[in-house]
Amino acid sequence: MKLFLGLDVGSMSTEAVLVNEEGVVLGQSMTLTGSRSVVAAETALLHCLAGAGVERESIVRCVATGYGRVSVPFADRRITEISCHGAGAFALFPNTRTVIDIGGQDSKVIRMDKSGKVIDFAMNDKCAAGTGRFLEVMADKLDVPLDKMGALALEARREVPISSVCTVFAESEVVSLLAQDHPKEEIVKGLHRSIVNRTWAMIRSVGIEDAVTMTGGVAKNQGVVKLLQDKLGRPIQVNEEPQMVGALGAALLAREA
Amino acid sequence: MSFLGVARYALMRDIGAPALFRIMEGRKKRERQIPSYFGPPMDSLSELKRIMMRHYYLARYAEGVKPIAWVTSGAPVELLRVFDFYTIYPENHGALCGARRKGPELCEEAESRGYDQDLCSYARVDLGVAFSGKTPVGRLPKPDLLFASNNICQTVAYWYKVLAHHWKIPLIVFDTPYNFDEISERNIDYMIRQMKEMVPLLERVSGKKYDEGKFKDILLLAKEASLLWGEVLSTMRNKPAPMTIFEAFGHLAPIVSLRGLPVAIQYYQSLLKELKDRVDRGIGAIAQERKRLMWDNIAIWFKVKDFSHLFAQRGMNFVTATYTNAWAETTPYMDESHPLESMAKAYSLVILNNNLNHRLRLMERLIGEYEVDGLVVHSARSCKPYSVGQYDLKRLLLDRVSVPSVVIEADITDFRAYSEEQANTRLEAFFESLEARQ
Amino acid sequence: MVECISMKQISIPTRREYIERQRREKDWRIFGVFPAFVPKELFWASHVLPVEIWDPPLTTTESNAHLQPYICSVVKLGMEALLQGYGRDLDGLLFPHTCDSIQNMASMVHDFMDLSLPCHFFYHPKAPYTEASKWFLRGHLQDLATGLMGGDDSENRGSEMSPEILRPWVDQGREIHALLAELYAIRASGRLNVSNACFYEKVRMGEYLLPEDYQGVLSSLLENDRGAKHDGPVVFLSGILPSPREILVLLDDLGVRVGDDDLLACGRRFKVQTPVGENPWDALVEGYFSMPPCSTRGSLVQDRADYLLEAVERCGAVGVIFLMVKFCEPELFDVPQLTRILKDAGLSTLVLDCEVNQALSGQLATRIEAFVETMRSR
Repeated sequence: MKLFLGLDVGSMSTEAVLVNEEGVVLGQSMTLTGSRSVVAAETALLHCLAGAGVERESIVRCVATGYGRVSVPFADRRITEISCHGAGAFALFPNTRTVIDIGGQDSKVIRMDKSGKVIDFAMNDKCAAGTGRFLEVMADKLDVPLDKMGALALEARREVPISSVCTVFAESEVVSLLAQDHPKEEIVKGLHRSIVNRTWAMIRSVGIEDAVTMTGGVAKNQGVVKLLQDKLGRPIQVNEEPQMVGALGAALLAREA
Repeated sequence: MSFLGVARYALMRDIGAPALFRIMEGRKKRERQIPSYFGPPMDSLSELKRIMMRHYYLARYAEGVKPIAWVTSGAPVELLRVFDFYTIYPENHGALCGARRKGPELCEEAESRGYDQDLCSYARVDLGVAFSGKTPVGRLPKPDLLFASNNICQTVAYWYKVLAHHWKIPLIVFDTPYNFDEISERNIDYMIRQMKEMVPLLERVSGKKYDEGKFKDILLLAKEASLLWGEVLSTMRNKPAPMTIFEAFGHLAPIVSLRGLPVAIQYYQSLLKELKDRVDRGIGAIAQERKRLMWDNIAIWFKVKDFSHLFAQRGMNFVTATYTNAWAETTPYMDESHPLESMAKAYSLVILNNNLNHRLRLMERLIGEYEVDGLVVHSARSCKPYSVGQYDLKRLLLDRVSVPSVVIEADITDFRAYSEEQANTRLEAFFESLEARQ
Repeated sequence: MVECISMKQISIPTRREYIERQRREKDWRIFGVFPAFVPKELFWASHVLPVEIWDPPLTTTESNAHLQPYICSVVKLGMEALLQGYGRDLDGLLFPHTCDSIQNMASMVHDFMDLSLPCHFFYHPKAPYTEASKWFLRGHLQDLATGLMGGDDSENRGSEMSPEILRPWVDQGREIHALLAELYAIRASGRLNVSNACFYEKVRMGEYLLPEDYQGVLSSLLENDRGAKHDGPVVFLSGILPSPREILVLLDDLGVRVGDDDLLACGRRFKVQTPVGENPWDALVEGYFSMPPCSTRGSLVQDRADYLLEAVERCGAVGVIFLMVKFCEPELFDVPQLTRILKDAGLSTLVLDCEVNQALSGQLATRIEAFVETMRSR
């Protein structure tokens, strides 16, 4: 049996995906990256092998992606998250022409052609605003569990606009809005609106074409997805585990090589 | 040019605009109470609004009727007026958008099309308007010509180049060499030659012929308006000053964008009359003028209203500014008997085209003449020629004329680049240091 | 990665050593000149060695007390160098009128800093050009030359510079431009067997070498003409500086060749056509107006676009990378319309925001790698 491994070593979490020669997923795992990417990569790999019930020796080729890709000693090739998210999204939804990936610490928009090749991209990696980190910080400030933020945003009928573009300033703004007794859900909706607006600006810089697929951890937030859909005026496809798409793409690219 | 367009323009000018203004005035009757820390409001404000509203209103109907030019605030517009261009000043429009808190919204229209967020916000607002068509004044007419001078900054040339490419229309840049030292004869000759070389293009775009006599007449009108503006500013030497610089920022609009037209003269004559009357009767802009301040750089348009309250409450009045002074400073050079040469000097010797020693001396002079107690330095992110060097000027002024100052990091129209907390903290410290000095 | 083999035979002193030697042994006066366009021939003719200050290896500390955070790092580092006493080794300064920030920095240095250094200014005329532009430039160059001949002080005018004194130096300049033109042509055709990093290291030596020595460097580089075309994807560089150097090293590692460039520090200033046989003043003026379009000279967007499209086609590039310096107004205004035109022509484009002298961040490296992956897959 010939297997191909994709490893996505992010700054927060590391994902591993194993596919066979037909491109079928045999196993996957996720672990926190912590302070040592090398250890996290090894851990994710071992969990993945155990879950799939296969031996390490079956792995023919490994592609590493993500922030920590250079630290994976056993990777045969290193490919950027842009190509990997593109490949992963295209495999899941072959009609994908635009990928929106909002991860823990960065976000990107990827344009693809009908053969699944990346033709353009935009990245926001300069600050936390518009990423998962933004939501984490705010969830903490508002004392709302992170995985409940999206639903809360959708409950609100009105929203409080957040004018700060910077996460740190926005945090102070939220504190003062709470002090002024604005309902939590309205603040949360305003925060989700901020993320959508930041994403929209990036989308405009590369343009958009149907179908749109969203990947990355923040795609699990139904609030962001719904508001973004409204803004784009078109549906957004999300698979069940959007955080795994990068690693999936890496595994498929390992298979292609 | 259609007959219908011409007729509609005339109709709007003679009937539409006055009618609209009457409606607006009617709405105004339900006015708020003026706080007690202000002096009585000025009547001229109403006339100012009418003039500027009319200017933007008629602009909507000028397309196809008159040749239209978008012009920079420091450009030699007197030459354009010979050819009867309807002039739009994107900087004035930008200030208006900034004051109405529309800055970020319009900037985003440009930013989403790739324009960096760190570029001048007047430019981003204007490009946003050009690309999207959105504007709080209803509609800006598409220009036939872009007319810029780089005396105030190089950025206007970069910005107008983008517009020229976007609309595929001609661009004239009046190149005014920076005066590192004294202005040279060669520089003056260069500028005169440029003005002569502009004429064929101006004739082609406007369809009108150059007329030397008309040019001299317009020069006289511009000079008179400038002299009057200078007198208006001088009334603020009195104690108490009859007006605040915040109001002057508004009264600036005609000399910037209607210079060379009779209406500017009429307006400043009536404004001056009102100001002199207030001086005679000892009426001040604020109820208690305890401290007199100077403002440096362009206004923070989205904070003018708030700041006017903030400072007036503390008995502090802004009595002079390098910015408002700019349209009176070079008037002495204007001379209708040597029109091109004097225009070259008047436009080259503006504050931002001169070395920083010149600016230091100017600021010292204004501080002395207006008896200034303190200086507020607006470090405007958008405006590099105004802002670069301010930190040194601040220190030098303290050393040389003992004037304390505070730097406010802000912007002209983009309030996303402004931190209320930071500004307030600095201002509080400034107020304390001012009060401590007797 | 390819080494510049023939360079190993020449012992190349460091920049500092070289400059010191010219002063000590051959009595050259040393002037610090700021970006971007400098009529070097006038300096050489006045026995002045102009050394360019683009990205001195310093950290900004002193300059933050004088310059706001929204000023570009080229200006900040230039001011930093002077504030840290670099002016002690100089006999004068030259400030070209490149942009508002350099304009005001020039005034701050001349008017407020106590350097006791003569300061000279070069105001190059801005586009759209007219007949007046040529007339002005000719006279302004002569005024500048007179000032340089004066020696002590810009107010203490020296005698006029005669054509006889200027001519041999204009010839030297022409020789340099001819060598650069040949070098760029060979590189564009894929025949130059030199790494990207090495190429720029060598061509940037013109920022401080005297003409004969620079001609020597360029001639050695030309010996790396392998005669056969190099494989691999080709990229075109635009923007300001080929900096940080790690970007070039990364491109080398990825097997990507830089085919040509329109960088302000390089291509835009190297491609000069100075006519032969004319009065040297006229030759200098013609040379100035023959340079590729540039945002700091006010060139229209369409002129830049036409030039870029032609240059990209000639070297076979499939992608264009804009190496920007953060806060650089002139270039940032051009970029959106230019990238639109390039994209419509089927090219991949990448705009990188860099701080001069900052190491290559992981984010920047990822963008470049992703861009190369995109290019490759077309």
